[in-house]
Amino acid sequence: MNNVIIIGAGPAGMSAAIACAQKGLDVVVIDEYLKAGGRLLGQLYEQPDGSWWNGIEESARLHQQALDLGVQIQLNTPVNNIEHHDGQWTIYTEHETLSTNHLLLATGAAESPIPVPGWTLPGVMSVGAAQVMTNVHRVKPGERGVIIGVNVLSSAIAMELKLAGIDVACMALPKMSQLTDQQAHPKHVLDSLLHVSHMAPSQFVKLGSKLMKNDFMKKLGVTFYPKRGVNMWDIPIQLRKAVIEIYGEKQVEGVTVATIDSNGEIVAGTEENVEADFVCIAGGLYPLAELAALTGCPFYLIEELGGYIPLHNERMETPLDGLYVAGNITGIEGAKVAAAQGTTAGLTIAKQAGFEGLDGEIEEAIQVVEETRDQSYIQFHPEVNKGREMVKEKWEEYVLPLRSI
Amino acid sequence: MTEDMIICRCEEVTYKELAETANKYNCSARELKLRTRAGMGYCGGRTCRNMVDKLAADLTDERQTQITLKYQPPIRPIHFGDLGGGQS
Repeated sequence: MNNVIIIGAGPAGMSAAIACAQKGLDVVVIDEYLKAGGRLLGQLYEQPDGSWWNGIEESARLHQQALDLGVQIQLNTPVNNIEHHDGQWTIYTEHETLSTNHLLLATGAAESPIPVPGWTLPGVMSVGAAQVMTNVHRVKPGERGVIIGVNVLSSAIAMELKLAGIDVACMALPKMSQLTDQQAHPKHVLDSLLHVSHMAPSQFVKLGSKLMKNDFMKKLGVTFYPKRGVNMWDIPIQLRKAVIEIYGEKQVEGVTVATIDSNGEIVAGTEENVEADFVCIAGGLYPLAELAALTGCPFYLIEELGGYIPLHNERMETPLDGLYVAGNITGIEGAKVAAAQGTTAGLTIAKQAGFEGLDGEIEEAIQVVEETRDQSYIQFHPEVNKGREMVKEKWEEYVLPLRSI
Repeated sequence: MTEDMIICRCEEVTYKELAETANKYNCSARELKLRTRAGMGYCGGRTCRNMVDKLAADLTDERQTQITLKYQPPIRPIHFGDLGGGQS
């Protein structure tokens, strides 16, 4: 039996493993991917201070630090079930069954697809897949791509594709349907982009020359959006065009786009073809809650955090004994917030495992999570703080009747 | 064009089939899944789950506190041999 088992080797899981191991606990980290780092692996961007955030290097650093502390890391190992009996957690992988008293779920996020006619053709992928191919495996997803869905994540990845020498023909919205939510509404997309502009990393400003802060925002916000789009890093960002079909005989050959009005409705007769050999679909991220959902942990649908959230407190405990959560499973935020949450979870686990005198450190770690959140310049959802408050309220509601017993 | 679009790749269920079923039976996400088999293929609904959820007619308060489409183990594909106790 292990002291602690952590599922997910991303920034949250690895930071938690390091915090636990520093207190002397035996830790096993399990991840289904072949490398440690999770979604951190794909990240590459310039920070406001001019330094580069290189996800591969950050992942390698966390990995090495964990190994040096004696953490066991099992990669290529999907977990297919977890069970709770007599105060003990049982974790099932294909070849092994593990057990522990303290289980941390740091399973991160998954991408929401947006269905578009032709989206089952070879050459269509999620924007995250294009990022992993390019930045992690160093394989070009194609020579010339189209990105469907304009949001913080897809804009950042478009820039990464450009850095890798891959042509992005355009970024456009999906055609509106019952399945597209607000991602097909030019006004909504514009609002969400304006909201992040003040936090835009210098790379946005530098590569986009005079775009983001002044001209770009003026063009975007004040006047009607230009039909030809606005260029950012030489990529036309089309908020007034929607992809209505992906075409190709045996694989992607291009997309058909049409002009849309400010409510997202197609203007008839404006269809035109854009040639491309790959297409990325960017539908945003949602917390990957599958394993947590098997445990019977209560869930709440909180749009501000990206979807169904397992109930947890600031110490990253769930209402179930010995079950903890950290990272994007608790809401969609950046890697640095995830890492800070991981550290908090690790310290909480150490306390629950019997280490005394950690309360001060845990309080500090919670402070760091909040500071890191306030300092993030990329917010995936503008109302993330509101979402966090909602989780706190739900927690209070949940534990209050238990306390009075 | 949109009508023929595949939503559940594993079971090859189209947008049209899901939308018509949702309208005809005014059904919950679970009923929509059971009627069409969308989300019941080998991937366990990992791609289409959210879309089946959105197309379902039933968007009541229950949705706020309960995951509408249940997760069931195994949540990742495993070999029959391993499932059955390792006899080759």
